[in-house]
Amino acid sequence: MIEVEHLSKRYGAVRAVEGVSFSVGRGEIVGLLGPNGAGKSTTMKILTTYLMPTSGRARLAGHDVLDEPLAVRRKVGYLPESVPLYPEMRVREFLRFRSRLKDVPGSRRRAAIDDAIQMTGLEDVAHRVVGNLSKGYKQRVGLADALLSDPDILILDEPTAGLDPIQIGEVRELIRELGKRHTILLSTHILPEVEIVCGRVVIIARGRIALDESLEKLKAGQAVEVEVRGPSDAVRGVLETSPGAGGIRKLAVEGAAAGDPGVCAFEVRARDEQAVEELRELIARRVVQNGWALRRLDLSRSSLEERFVRAVRDAVVVDHEGEAA
Amino acid sequence: MRHVPALVQREVSAYFLRPMAYFVLLGFQVIAMLDFFQLVELLSDPRAVLSFSGAMNPMNYYVAGSWMFWVALLIAVPALTMRLIAEERRTGTIEGLMTVPVSETEVVLGKWIGGVVMYLALLLPFAIYLPFLRQFGGYRLEPEPLISLGIGLTTMGMMFVAIGVAFSAATRNQVEAAVGTFVTLLSLLLITVVNQVVGPRAGWAEAVSFLSVYVQLSEFASGRLDLRVVALHLSVTVFALFLAVKVLEGRRES
Repeated sequence: MIEVEHLSKRYGAVRAVEGVSFSVGRGEIVGLLGPNGAGKSTTMKILTTYLMPTSGRARLAGHDVLDEPLAVRRKVGYLPESVPLYPEMRVREFLRFRSRLKDVPGSRRRAAIDDAIQMTGLEDVAHRVVGNLSKGYKQRVGLADALLSDPDILILDEPTAGLDPIQIGEVRELIRELGKRHTILLSTHILPEVEIVCGRVVIIARGRIALDESLEKLKAGQAVEVEVRGPSDAVRGVLETSPGAGGIRKLAVEGAAAGDPGVCAFEVRARDEQAVEELRELIARRVVQNGWALRRLDLSRSSLEERFVRAVRDAVVVDHEGEAA
Repeated sequence: MRHVPALVQREVSAYFLRPMAYFVLLGFQVIAMLDFFQLVELLSDPRAVLSFSGAMNPMNYYVAGSWMFWVALLIAVPALTMRLIAEERRTGTIEGLMTVPVSETEVVLGKWIGGVVMYLALLLPFAIYLPFLRQFGGYRLEPEPLISLGIGLTTMGMMFVAIGVAFSAATRNQVEAAVGTFVTLLSLLLITVVNQVVGPRAGWAEAVSFLSVYVQLSEFASGRLDLRVVALHLSVTVFALFLAVKVLEGRRES
């Protein structure tokens, strides 16, 4: 649905996006991840035809952003980072105005607005003035706007920015729900968000693609982290010999027990990546059987974060080398 | 072009939702009242020399010859056009507008038509008094000069608003847009000073007074509907709107 080839954007001497290529298939939810200023928003602005690329091509639903911008706009629902709304309008009035601009036929307009309001949970504020709404509701109005024309592709720039934890949960749930019928490209700098919502992650750093991988593969490197009060060597021996354990690494003990010589921590990698949950239970049983106190037992979530930090660091190094050359 | 009505509707309703609109209308109402007072004084003064062609025409005193009218117009037009596009660029709502299937031309036309509607609403207070003149003063107004004045005021307003839209498209700072528009309109009004600087040279004087909106409106008020002036207003309008569209299109590349 989205094909991006060697896309570049320069603002004067500043290279905001540099030779970015990726593609998003129908029905995929792809997270565009990157530190602030990495070029996420610029990429999205090019894909939604708000900006023209300096070079490269991008096609959405078969339409080129340069040759057929209006056709692209018809296929895309876009939630910009700044959530542009007219503060003096009422929610329903704003959505009606937007649906007219988006060519929603008059006969279906009412139903389309009702659906968007219902999906984003705006029923209670539909008659209130947009300018008086809280940040969370404004964000939802922006989301409802993106959904109005029931577009094939949704491009959401930081859809959960500025929301409280409950609202974040609701919006993530909504995005996952929408992912069943729409192709979604969303940007964020929140790592867990990608893990919860997306099927694939594209990490962008310094305007370049640093990583493009399915979340399944990224999760595959998952391991169990365990913190135990007991003799370090004996614990290591027991964990190593657990069936299904693929590798073991000593971790620094953090938190309340930091520096306590009686406490040790290990990361145990599963040999079979699917079996990590079984390994987790097995480790719990074996630690308890040995009479040690089990202080912590976690699935290691560090995998994506590690890849992210590494990818961003590598991108910076490459960039410096590029500048030196 | 099918999106233009929606854009105009939003523009006009946004304007009339602000208290500012009513202050401006009130200001124009007060000026219309003062001008009407002067007009009545003039008409009831037996010594007044009235002629119905040229600057002594009573309608000229009422609108085109009133300095208050020009001051108010030169402030009100930039004040109402500065917002049109600059505000959307400042708040970022332009991003929402330029990512739906609406062309730059439609946006500019929508803004311009909205501006012209607001401009015409400003002038309504001047029309309100005229029926009273007829009803209670028994003064018979000839319709032809009124019609030509109406046409002149409209085409001049279309030009003014188009100039304002072009300045509003060129910047995200509303004050810059207002100042640019004000200076341009003031130049069009005061261009006759050129005559005093360069001295009485026949060719110059004619060209300058043709361009002066003050002279143009006096002529319209006298019932002389000069189609060359109408053509001038319309071509400046088209050119200014064309510039605004090009500026908006250029934004995508920056």
